[in-house]
Amino acid sequence: MLQARRHFGSFDWVLFLTALALPLIGLVIIFSATTGTPAASAFERQALWLGLGLLALVVVLAIDYHTLAEFSYVVYGLGIVLLILTLIFGRVVNASKSWLGVGGVQFQPSELAKVATILMVAAYLGNERVRGLGFTNFAALSAIVGVPVLLILQQPDLGTAMTFMPLLAGACFMAGIRVRTLVVLALVVALALPIVWGHLKPYQKERVMIFLEPTRDPKGAGYQLIQSLIAVGSGGVAGKGFLSGTQGQLQFLPEQHTDFILAVLAEERGFIGSALVLALYFIVFHRCVATARAARDRLGSFLAMGVACVYGGQALLNIGVVLGILPTTGVPLPLMSYGGSCLMSTLIALGLVLNVWMRRLVN
Amino acid sequence: MSPQNQVWDQRDYLEERRLSVRISLIQVLFGAALGVYLMTFWYLQVVRADYYRRLSDSNHLRRVTLMPQRGLIADAEDRPLAGNRIAFDVRLDREKAGDPAALLPTLTRILGMGQQTLEERLGRYRNRPSFEPVVLKEDVDLKEVAYIESRRLELPMLSVGIESRRNYPHGALAAHVLGYVGEVTEEQVRKDVQGEFDLGDVVGRAGIERQYDPGLRGAKGWKEVVVNSHGREMQEVGEGRQPSPGRALRLTIDLDLQATLEEAYGEEQGSAIFLDPHSGAVLAMISRPAYDPNVFARRFSQDVWQTLVGDPRHPLQDRVSLSKFAPGSVFKIVMAIAALEEGVAGPNRVDHCTGSYRFGERVFQCWGIRKGGHGWIGMREAIIQSCNVYFYRLGNEMGIERIAKWGRLLGFGGPTGIDLPHEEGGTLPDPEWKRRAVPRDPTWHPGETISVSIGQGALEVTPLQMAVFASIIANGGTVYRPHLVRSRETREGVEEGAGDGSVVREVALRPSTLAVIKDAMWGVVNEEGTGVRARIEGRDVCAKTGTAQVFRASRDIDADKLPKDKRDHAWFVGFAPKDDPQIAWAVFVQNGGHGGTVGAPIARAVLERFFAKRYPTGGGVRAAGATTLR
Repeated sequence: MLQARRHFGSFDWVLFLTALALPLIGLVIIFSATTGTPAASAFERQALWLGLGLLALVVVLAIDYHTLAEFSYVVYGLGIVLLILTLIFGRVVNASKSWLGVGGVQFQPSELAKVATILMVAAYLGNERVRGLGFTNFAALSAIVGVPVLLILQQPDLGTAMTFMPLLAGACFMAGIRVRTLVVLALVVALALPIVWGHLKPYQKERVMIFLEPTRDPKGAGYQLIQSLIAVGSGGVAGKGFLSGTQGQLQFLPEQHTDFILAVLAEERGFIGSALVLALYFIVFHRCVATARAARDRLGSFLAMGVACVYGGQALLNIGVVLGILPTTGVPLPLMSYGGSCLMSTLIALGLVLNVWMRRLVN
Repeated sequence: MSPQNQVWDQRDYLEERRLSVRISLIQVLFGAALGVYLMTFWYLQVVRADYYRRLSDSNHLRRVTLMPQRGLIADAEDRPLAGNRIAFDVRLDREKAGDPAALLPTLTRILGMGQQTLEERLGRYRNRPSFEPVVLKEDVDLKEVAYIESRRLELPMLSVGIESRRNYPHGALAAHVLGYVGEVTEEQVRKDVQGEFDLGDVVGRAGIERQYDPGLRGAKGWKEVVVNSHGREMQEVGEGRQPSPGRALRLTIDLDLQATLEEAYGEEQGSAIFLDPHSGAVLAMISRPAYDPNVFARRFSQDVWQTLVGDPRHPLQDRVSLSKFAPGSVFKIVMAIAALEEGVAGPNRVDHCTGSYRFGERVFQCWGIRKGGHGWIGMREAIIQSCNVYFYRLGNEMGIERIAKWGRLLGFGGPTGIDLPHEEGGTLPDPEWKRRAVPRDPTWHPGETISVSIGQGALEVTPLQMAVFASIIANGGTVYRPHLVRSRETREGVEEGAGDGSVVREVALRPSTLAVIKDAMWGVVNEEGTGVRARIEGRDVCAKTGTAQVFRASRDIDADKLPKDKRDHAWFVGFAPKDDPQIAWAVFVQNGGHGGTVGAPIARAVLERFFAKRYPTGGGVRAAGATTLR
């Protein structure tokens, strides 16, 4: 009891409240973006998922992360099994088989696999014996990240698969990958790139081409980009006001409550709103990094940095698409976009970070 | 603490330092990326906000053009000749269709159309925004409308559109008067400086529809609407402007006479036009072969158009005002008037016809040669018998200059000014004309004068000019501009048609000249002349027949046994009644043989109807034998 009180006293309120503020802002925007459209029930469902997500966060917080790391093999294995089940029994949405239904609830196992992989990577690198990253360790790390990525690519869901990359890159970097290993790796990637391009689906190639030249197909994939820029730019400094963004309200924006939710916010809330959201994301990231520094062991550091890299990278990817800086990938904005699985996985991941912070002091 | 442990601690300490540096690097990287994003937001939302706001407005505000109803066209008694009807089209919404190619077999089955036609229609819209529906099938009946509408759930990509379409209730009747409508050409849009036309607009392309198009078309209106990304109209904003409907026209055409003429003309090719000699109003007008203007009102009229344009009989050609032919013997009336007015001959001049006339080295024949010529013959008889020799000699004495002068005065050699988009002026040859038109042989040969004297040679007239000419004789010398519009709707009310302003000139004709000519023309129909088939008891029909040579037949060949396309063109030109002319006409039958044979019965049918309408109780009939001016 005393211990719990002490832990409670060292709870990272800043991270928790910021992480709570973003889904609440997201809810408002989801409401605005879906009123009067067939997706109008999205608001209530997202609110429900937020509640469930907070519950999951508290559960994750209650168990010492060392205990969780001990079970990382189980969690990781479960994630892989779910991904395989998805490929067999999954439901096809937008030409991707990435949904699994359990008792009427649909969720994306790839989102849960994300957390499992972060835990697995942290557990592997947190092992005190791993010092400096040679070929063997790098191969092991690649395998840990590679297995779920390959399974997700089979769905196919390129966007989600890509969000695993910052984890691998960040982990390698933090573990101190050797220059020799890095050079060989660079050579392999340079050789593999043309082969990968050859194996991309036509729509994926088209997206990359459109990104390089947005006016190429103004009604197709380039259309999303142009409409997103119009939404953001026409918001101006103060925004058009709640429910008043014509780009979003008149459905010029595609995926307005999921991947392009930030464009709707930028249109209705202007530069002030956009800057505020960027600031909130910076605080979340900063708190994760602070946790990594303050963690009492390598496991805690790798855990916090894994979460920071995966979800921070995903946020950068999403916002970059909205701003036309990156090609359209179809990745939701963590904490804000509509989507229960993504919100749930992000909150669990942040629960891990809060866990590390809370137990940073050696007793 | 053992030294070994110290080493480990030392290593741990260094590793912790390195880890911290690496974490910082990742943090800086993330912070820098967010900084770039913040600057991008600033650039888009502050620096370029106006630009994007304009794009946003033009994105969701759309100006919708409201099309006016085309003006109605009615006959002289206000019976509709051209109106508008509601047409149903089957349209395909490409945004809901997914891959249209995959739908083709289904569409082929449902619409009963060839796959190729469907592909071609879809292909036209390849470069148009996808919210614009594709018209797959036009003019579907209510059964098909019901079929499509009741399958909204199965076939959400199909819908039924409603359009106003031009409608000609009488089909091909008076086709060349009314003309037809069609989509504006790309060239018209390009040359349109005032921005009146948009692609897809319907405009008059021929006939009255074209001539009076600015009024008939009306003025477009517009409204501004908020549309969503699918182009669906969400709400209207601002005032906009209502379209002003096209102005109605009332023609001079009398539907009854027109119908009679259409029926009497049968299957012949050629044209006929009936005028009111006291105003120039066109009472009936026909050109054959004709076409059904309704086929052009449809969107997909390209095939029909190609068929009509490629038809060797040229059904689109208006043979009243655009085709020119030799006037043949009808021109002998012009010769007689010129001779009388110029004093070259008196009405009592007598000549001797032996069946041929030698001029220089050439021999010109008279059609009476088979019975050894007309013998001694006076002017009146020469007109009635249509003796060539009489007029050969008269022409030779008069000279081409005086013939051309009277030809011009009587309405030949230039357009009449009818209110149709194009008109041919014909050819009235004289030495001046020859110098210009035949540089190969610029001198006028006296022999040519001989040919012109009987309406052959280079002489060319339109049936319309012939009818105007008949009107001039009928009304005693007034040249009216023929016209088709009796009254037109204006912003202020109804403007009565050309009426007063339509006198082109007065030709001073002596009453004695008129008396001789009219009497001779009366004789053509009422004595044993060439036009007896137009005779109506008590109506004193006056006329002159003519044949325009197509093929120079030798005297041994019976003209009636020639193949149809080698036969002469037939004229039957006249007016009635003789003393109080109320109607004048020109009937022209291509390859019709002799004017009295085919032309006269056509004119007679229309005249009977005309007089029956004007005098329903049988009035106005001259008592038998009351007038005979000899």
